[in-house]
Amino acid sequence: MTYLFQILNGVGLGMLYFLLAVGLSVIFGLLQFVNFAHGAFYLLGAYLTYDLTQRDFSLWVAMPIAALIVACVAALTEAVLLRRIYKLPHTFHILVTVGIALVIQEFVIIVWGPVGGSVATPQILSGIIILGDFIYPIYRLFVIGFTVVLAAILWWALEGTRLGAILRAGSESTETMALLGYNTLKINTIVFGLGAGLAGLAGALAAPIRGVDPFMGIEALSVAFVVVVIGGMGSYVGALVAGILVGVVQSLMATIWPEGARLMIYVAMGLVIVTMPRGLFGRV
Amino acid sequence: MVINTPLVQFALATLTVLALPLFLSSGILAGEILVFALVVAACNLLLGYTGLLSFGQGIFFGVGSYAAGILLTRTGIPVGVVLPLAAVMGAAIATIVGALSIRQQGVYFVMLTLAFAQMFYFLAYTFSGLTGGDNGLLDVPRPILAGTELTDPWPYYWFVAVCFLVLFAALLMVTRSTFGRTLIAVRENAERAAAIGFPVRVFKIVAFAISGAVTAFAGGLHAMLIGVAPLSNIEYHTSEMILIMTIIGGSSSLFASVLGAGFYMLLADTLSTIMPRWLLILGLVLITVALFLQRGLWGLVERLWGMITHQRVPGADNTLPDDTASGKE
Repeated sequence: MTYLFQILNGVGLGMLYFLLAVGLSVIFGLLQFVNFAHGAFYLLGAYLTYDLTQRDFSLWVAMPIAALIVACVAALTEAVLLRRIYKLPHTFHILVTVGIALVIQEFVIIVWGPVGGSVATPQILSGIIILGDFIYPIYRLFVIGFTVVLAAILWWALEGTRLGAILRAGSESTETMALLGYNTLKINTIVFGLGAGLAGLAGALAAPIRGVDPFMGIEALSVAFVVVVIGGMGSYVGALVAGILVGVVQSLMATIWPEGARLMIYVAMGLVIVTMPRGLFGRV
Repeated sequence: MVINTPLVQFALATLTVLALPLFLSSGILAGEILVFALVVAACNLLLGYTGLLSFGQGIFFGVGSYAAGILLTRTGIPVGVVLPLAAVMGAAIATIVGALSIRQQGVYFVMLTLAFAQMFYFLAYTFSGLTGGDNGLLDVPRPILAGTELTDPWPYYWFVAVCFLVLFAALLMVTRSTFGRTLIAVRENAERAAAIGFPVRVFKIVAFAISGAVTAFAGGLHAMLIGVAPLSNIEYHTSEMILIMTIIGGSSSLFASVLGAGFYMLLADTLSTIMPRWLLILGLVLITVALFLQRGLWGLVERLWGMITHQRVPGADNTLPDDTASGKE
């Protein structure tokens, strides 16, 4: 029974990791740009949620607003700064995005202090659900339900809509897109904003579960990388499977060997990499 | 350019060693600058000369400081043996990390090295019996050489300085050797180098091993310098910092790395006393460097030198060591 509890926890955690990784993957697919500020957007989403709920906004309002603000900040950053450096080698992509991540992290510490805090769940989601002898917090069930729906919408958006087609075409050849008359600059900005917004939303959803602290961004960034490495770059299914795998490994280990829970994520990654250098679903 | 020739580079490094005591009051800070100059030069061997952007250099730095810390506090092995042992440890781990990471190209490679950095951090954090966990390994002693204890910062600085110059010269020789030239060939065009018959994978792994050895040696020096082998030496932040120093300095010569390390350490030292959240400024500096200084600080020096001697300077798009820097231009 404990294991079922932990596996469910792991799935919830894994879906958040999936949201992080899919944003990173989509941005990379279209822009050929590795975004080291991705964790910082997650951090910002979490802190904005924390701030808004502190101001007596309900979580229902705080979460979408937080994600939206993060998306706008990211889109603005892309339009003002990032588009100037796409042509440079990826060394400079990393330098700039690491710089942005530092600025956001320090901004968070200046505004909200270095300590962190906790976010209360709304009335309707606080409490537990009891099925026979199985007890589970409602909020975590909500996170699983919500992220599953979101994942389905994302799948549809990437596979079945015009935007998805543009995205997939863009990751094949931006030049051809431009020749066909698409405004690629605008598309880049929108996609970067959306990807970062997903990271912000993941942060917003995670805040009530784990609280907020200024260094959660770095942790999120490296977990997102691990998910991408395990799942294979550019694979939606890979991000989903790897996200859940990492989440479940972390949750199960948390009961078996608490000190080593985080370590085991990376050990799992090491095992996958040794056996399959391209990750589970990698095509590259 | 003449300023990129090995002799001039070594002369500049020697000048740096002699100049630091004149300008700095803190022997600890001066020692740290040299330690990181080594670490950054070793990172540059991968970035500038092999085209590998490694986000895992903190692993080797941390391993080196732990290896030295454990050997010095729990065994009676003399320091002259401890540091080479730390270097061997660093080389061994770098070989494993390198071999696994280079199976991927470009950005995936960077992600993998970062993931390995986190893995080793959590290893150090989890096995606190060995590493002291959050507190680090305390009371790492400074060496006793020829009957004199180097307990004060400045005498120890000279010990670090000698190690620095020897290893810096060794790195210069590596980049000038046939092996080093081949690394540049690998960087320029790995497929072609492979087609000619060079074992590209092996060369990359050897570059990793050399880089890991030098970095771990410096890690050992650092543990003795501050008297602790701290957990922070193996953190994400250390890997990030090493990479930042490397890129800020510029990857077109090895002395560029000394410049990058010095600039970063002095900036950190100055700013952190003025404002506690100085990393905000650092973030802005990084963005500025990427936008306007793509050959790093050394690129500025090259440009000045070009003005003085009326030579053409490599363009901003060419951020790599030029392989024509021989003594006879």
